[in-house]
Amino acid sequence: MERRNIWSLKFSTISLALIPVSVGINYVGKLFASTLKLPLWLDSIGTVLAAILAGPWIGAISGLINNIIYGITMDAVSGIYGITSVAIGLTAGWLAYKGWLENWWKAVGFGIVVALVSTVVSTPINIKFWGGQTGNLWGDALFAALMGNKVPLFLASFFDELVVDLPDKIAVVLISYIIYKALPKRLTILFDDQKTQAL
Amino acid sequence: MKSISLYVDIQSPIHSIDPITKLIYTLVFILVPYILPHYEIAISCLILTLIILLTAKVIRQVIPIVSLSLLLISTIFIIQGLFYPGNSITAFKVIGIAFYHEGLRYALGISLKFINLLCCSAIIILTTRPSDLIEALVRLGLSPKLGYVMSSVLQIIPQMTGTTQKILDAQRSRGLETEGNIFIRVKAYIPLLIPLVMNSLIETNERSMALEVRAFNSKHRRTFLFEKKTSKKMLVIRYLILVFLLGAILWRFIK
Repeated sequence: MERRNIWSLKFSTISLALIPVSVGINYVGKLFASTLKLPLWLDSIGTVLAAILAGPWIGAISGLINNIIYGITMDAVSGIYGITSVAIGLTAGWLAYKGWLENWWKAVGFGIVVALVSTVVSTPINIKFWGGQTGNLWGDALFAALMGNKVPLFLASFFDELVVDLPDKIAVVLISYIIYKALPKRLTILFDDQKTQAL
Repeated sequence: MKSISLYVDIQSPIHSIDPITKLIYTLVFILVPYILPHYEIAISCLILTLIILLTAKVIRQVIPIVSLSLLLISTIFIIQGLFYPGNSITAFKVIGIAFYHEGLRYALGISLKFINLLCCSAIIILTTRPSDLIEALVRLGLSPKLGYVMSSVLQIIPQMTGTTQKILDAQRSRGLETEGNIFIRVKAYIPLLIPLVMNSLIETNERSMALEVRAFNSKHRRTFLFEKKTSKKMLVIRYLILVFLLGAILWRFIK
């Protein structure tokens, strides 16, 4: 998809209206995952889809608002990780523009990059607030093992987060890829500001 | 429709305080124990916050919020007690494995600040209606478009959750297997999510047209249905809290 400028700050009404919907998709994505008892969170599909459809800024804002709303209604810890969601949205929007959704293999690479970005941004937060832990059983077990072997804190914490983020984000991106490919062009074009403004 | 918010709808002196004052309190009192990392500071902030929560009559709802994190806190004590890099003085031994002073003290610091964070945020979560908070932010200057975006999340999520059940039933009646081994369940995920996403995007298109018809893009200043004046008392309290924050920052730099 050719875009003259994905970093433009002029948002169409429909792109803004997409934001709460992507928070909803995040929420329901997580709900379906737990209903089906899948071992992943799958709570950022909406953010990634918004970034693919409407660009990095809308993806980032969707992620930020997702975490802020969770923060003021249910769970303050989500609020703190808002910055991770912003990073995911920006990365996803950028990679989508660069054509990383052309085929299955590139999509896997897309997922890996998103996982790395998410881990890198979350690790300082994990260290500052929880001494490097993430609250996930497997990740923290790995963290304990690494710390026990005198691995530096930021590395141990990095792998703690990566163990959890890598499968989850790859799955999120692949699912977003499948959904995006399944959407009809007449729907996806609505969010592509350049093309609709030319009409 | 069930809301996702944990807001407790009762009357209390804290509930009647305006959302911005509570927001400023929450942010400052979460930050200060990180700026001045002494146990006394974290404990005092926590005690003050607990008094506020008691006055708000929401202490009972705070308990599940905090107890969910007790497991994490205990693992923090165990891991830091065993492996904290600065460990040297043994505190006690369990089956011959040593737990060290420095790690346990570090874990105590983290846990106090964490529990304080949970309780301060409970002031927002339990005593402040999210829509009131968003409206207060818009009054202060937040773009009304962002205000719309945030408020509509609160309505859209329950709506989409309702559609979830419909889609689940519809796909099951068409033969989708949702129970069984992991492969069956994984294969069920996409057929559930795609109808949801498609419906939502079509609705988004309709919603955006409705918004444009209602002057969503208007550059004029919005007016509000109700007049709201911030009492002098609240302004004083806000300034006091901000002065407290400045004091904490200065103290940190002086020491």
